[in-house]
Amino acid sequence: MEMISTFLNGLSLGGVYAMIALGYTMVYGIAKMLNFAHGDIIMVGGYTILVFMNAAGNPILATALAVVFCVALGAAVERLAYKPLRGASPLAVLITAIGVSYLLQSLAQILFGSAAKMVSLPNLGAFPFAGIRVQGYTLLTLALSVAVMAALTAFIKFTKVGKAMLAVSEDRGAAQLMGINVNAIITLTFVIGSALAAIAGLCILMKAPSISSTFGSMPGIKAFTAAVIGGIGSIPGAMLGGILLGVVESFCNKVSAIAPYTDAIEFGILIVILLIRPTGFLGKKRREKV
Amino acid sequence: MKRPAKNFQWKHFANYIVISVLLIFFAVSSMTGNLRSSGQYLLEKIGYSMILAVSLSMLVGFLGELSLGHAGFMCVGAYIGGKTAALLVPALGNGLPAFLIAMAAGGISAAVCGVIVGLPALRLKGDYLAIVTLAFGEIVRSLFLNSSPESFGGSLGLTTPRYDRNSLFIIAFVVVLLTLAAIQNLLRSRHGRAITAIRDSEIAARATGINVTRYKLMVFAMSAFFAGIAGVLYSYANQTVQSSKFGFNYSIEILVMVVLGGMGSINGSLIAAALITYLNVKLTKVLTGDLAVLQNLVYAVILIVIVIYGNAPFLAPLREKLDLGALLRRLTRRNADPAYRRDDEKSWARVPTKIKMDELLSIDTRPEDNRAVRLNGDKPGKGD
Amino acid sequence: MKKTMRIACAVMAVLMMVAVLTACQAGKAKNYAANNTEFVIGLTGPLTGSAAIYGTAVANSAQMAVDEINAAGGLNGVKFKLVVLDDKHDASIIATNFATLLEGGMQVSLGAVTSAPCNEFKTYARDENVFFLTPSASNDEVPEFDNGFQMCFADGNQGKVAADYVNKTCSGTTIGVFYKSDDPYSVGVFDQFKRNLDASVKTVETSFNDATATDFSVQIDNMKDCAFIFMPIYYEPASLFMTQARGVIADNAVYYGCDGLDGLTSMEGFDVSTIPQEVSMLSQFNSKSTEGASAEYIKKYVEKYGEDTLNQFGASAYDCVYAIYGAMKKAYEADSKSVYVTMSASELCEVLKSQFTGGYTCSGVTGETISWDANGYVNKTAVKYIIKEATGGQ
Repeated sequence: MEMISTFLNGLSLGGVYAMIALGYTMVYGIAKMLNFAHGDIIMVGGYTILVFMNAAGNPILATALAVVFCVALGAAVERLAYKPLRGASPLAVLITAIGVSYLLQSLAQILFGSAAKMVSLPNLGAFPFAGIRVQGYTLLTLALSVAVMAALTAFIKFTKVGKAMLAVSEDRGAAQLMGINVNAIITLTFVIGSALAAIAGLCILMKAPSISSTFGSMPGIKAFTAAVIGGIGSIPGAMLGGILLGVVESFCNKVSAIAPYTDAIEFGILIVILLIRPTGFLGKKRREKV
Repeated sequence: MKRPAKNFQWKHFANYIVISVLLIFFAVSSMTGNLRSSGQYLLEKIGYSMILAVSLSMLVGFLGELSLGHAGFMCVGAYIGGKTAALLVPALGNGLPAFLIAMAAGGISAAVCGVIVGLPALRLKGDYLAIVTLAFGEIVRSLFLNSSPESFGGSLGLTTPRYDRNSLFIIAFVVVLLTLAAIQNLLRSRHGRAITAIRDSEIAARATGINVTRYKLMVFAMSAFFAGIAGVLYSYANQTVQSSKFGFNYSIEILVMVVLGGMGSINGSLIAAALITYLNVKLTKVLTGDLAVLQNLVYAVILIVIVIYGNAPFLAPLREKLDLGALLRRLTRRNADPAYRRDDEKSWARVPTKIKMDELLSIDTRPEDNRAVRLNGDKPGKGD
Repeated sequence: MKKTMRIACAVMAVLMMVAVLTACQAGKAKNYAANNTEFVIGLTGPLTGSAAIYGTAVANSAQMAVDEINAAGGLNGVKFKLVVLDDKHDASIIATNFATLLEGGMQVSLGAVTSAPCNEFKTYARDENVFFLTPSASNDEVPEFDNGFQMCFADGNQGKVAADYVNKTCSGTTIGVFYKSDDPYSVGVFDQFKRNLDASVKTVETSFNDATATDFSVQIDNMKDCAFIFMPIYYEPASLFMTQARGVIADNAVYYGCDGLDGLTSMEGFDVSTIPQEVSMLSQFNSKSTEGASAEYIKKYVEKYGEDTLNQFGASAYDCVYAIYGAMKKAYEADSKSVYVTMSASELCEVLKSQFTGGYTCSGVTGETISWDANGYVNKTAVKYIIKEATGGQ
């Protein structure tokens, strides 16, 4: 019984990781950059929810506004910080992303102070389920992440823009020749990633309603790990990696003797998986040509 | 027979000379009591930052493998070296013998870790390797963090002996010189050319008979060794070695030094390491009390502006106009000679008659539409 | 030629090393305070980063105390000045910060806010003979040298007192323990607690760390049968724990913590009255106090800096400034030549040391009578303070 509840917890945590990992992996697949500021978008989303919860008290409205705000921020960051560097070395872009991450964190500290703030989201209660009690937020997180992932998959498979995104990630030059507006597609990727980050922020807050300026750092790094485990650039891979990592984390935390080493174990799993499959579970193998 | 003197070039030794002169200057001012303690601590920090930057530069700039876990190697060096020192100092006294043994212990254990991390590098490429180094750094940190208080101090950190503060900064800079000598000589040798060949094309390097496995492992081991040495210096500069110091953010800080210094430029890394360390210390000193929250803001803004200014393709004309090097060249006598032309990539790119192959191709496909011409190289255009 | 250069370099380097190692032990006993017009108090603490709340609370409160003392005329007309540097909870920044403070004229210090940096700080303070009284670095080793003193209870002491209490009340039962495995405070209290616990008390030990600091569902599940849970952690994770444990842990259970739990009641967005269990702690300071010195302090602090960063460390820092001021005043009244504005840190250190180990007592917001033993540990009363009675359940 306990195993099931641990597993469910792991699944919902994995769902959160998967949503964040999708942001990493889409940006990587399409813009070919590691967006290290992605974790801080979650933080911004969390603070937006805090502000609007305090002002309006409606969690749905607050989340919607957080999504809008994060989308605007994601697009702005892409236009102002990353677009000027298109065509420059990937490392320069990486460093800029890190600069943006520092910038967002310090702005948050200046605006909201150093103390962690509690966000008073409504208590969803717990439900009996097959002999165990399942927390409401676990179910809601699961539902949200499944819905988001299904919607995203459908969007990419069946819409013209989604196909254009696939094309850009396949071969940017060729896609441009086909008349796809690559810059718009890249901005759109950031927009989608930021929206997912805001929703992930809500899910984290439902479970642990405390937010500070480093709120997004650890989920960010974990989700990045998940994206790589699944094969960075691959959307089903990000989901798979996220869920795997979430379940592993949940079970590691369960055993108090190994709980302190949870991080080390997760990163160890990453290394082992990469040694066996150098491009992650579902990553594309790129054959090197001379 | 005398060898021809042209083998010798002053510019190959410029960095040793500059560092030595500065070091002598600071050593003398310290001896005469003109250098304050804060200055000495700053110099210690600059010393080990330089070692870190140069060792990472070898890995990133010359071998072409991105590492996001360099602080992990430093962590190993700091803990193992610091622990060795803590055990040796009661027996040998806090002097050079214990210091050298600790250096060797820290450096070698870090080098062993370097080989372990280097092994996946034989199979993994680019960003995948980067995440493995990141994971390694986090694992190392986590293991030391959860160690028992008796072994490595656990969460409170390891207590290590501190070296005499009047001489540690001098030692640190002597170690910088030795590191430079080792890395620079390696990179200027046949081996160095093999390493850059691997960076430029691994397949081509393999085809010419370069032992890629050996060189990759060697560079990882050496880079980790010197990071470990920097770690030992760190442990000697501080009484407490805290594992939280060696997180992802510190690895990134070292990477920033290398990137801002210019990839593949040892001197650039040295200068960037000194400047960034100085900037960080200065920001802490200037922004006290309530203003402290501005530190990261200022740092972040400086970082973004520098990177965009230095790398954005659309700023290339501005960079050329403000290029200090070019200005210097114009002012020096050598350039007054009209026969002298610098043969570098930039000036080639400006030659109008040189037609790039891909440009030619795209013009051929759609000759009447100049939109096609624009497409090569992903250059953003107005209409996008 | 290349070879000769290399050899020359090496020789030069070795020569320099030898020269410097042997020659330069130039005396550095310099009085940086010689031009002071105010008494300078130095402090280093985390003002940015994840531990920033502690540094901010301490810096704010100390500044408040300094302002009050100055408004009341200072020490015989000489004002005080507080200089606070940011150390990001990083021990490797302490060296620079200490030197900067000292060279900026620091005469007496509040040490470092957090434990690991303060353990670094104490060595520099010993070398330069600077008196420090830390408000919040509670590690047992902090007052190791004779010029270091603590205003907060040492971790080990708290663990022992908590264990005594548990031995008395929970004998023969199984209790839950929830601590943070990468926090020296939490581990320090936990270690001493375990060492002093009777064999008759069984424990379910659970822990978390920085990386897992938001999701406690597993730990809560492990302890769901415990009627008493000891949590030597800070109030932020504790508030999360209590929120998440609602409905899983029995409503009549008792949460018992140490002084880290203080601040629970003033946390924005967290209402402790919605927690069904009893919440109590062993503390020096009651942040919901409505009478006496502490109530007055709370009122002033909230007016000036808001409720966000109000916690026991701030209160402790407020007391530290007054304790130092009181000791200086006492020494001044005994001998008006012994305390003057341009005295060096080392001279002031001797004065304060003899005061603090010579039966000096003071009163403040964290205690009625506060005194120090020869080791530098503080003596004041710790009370079991019930933050909130159990509702429902019983």
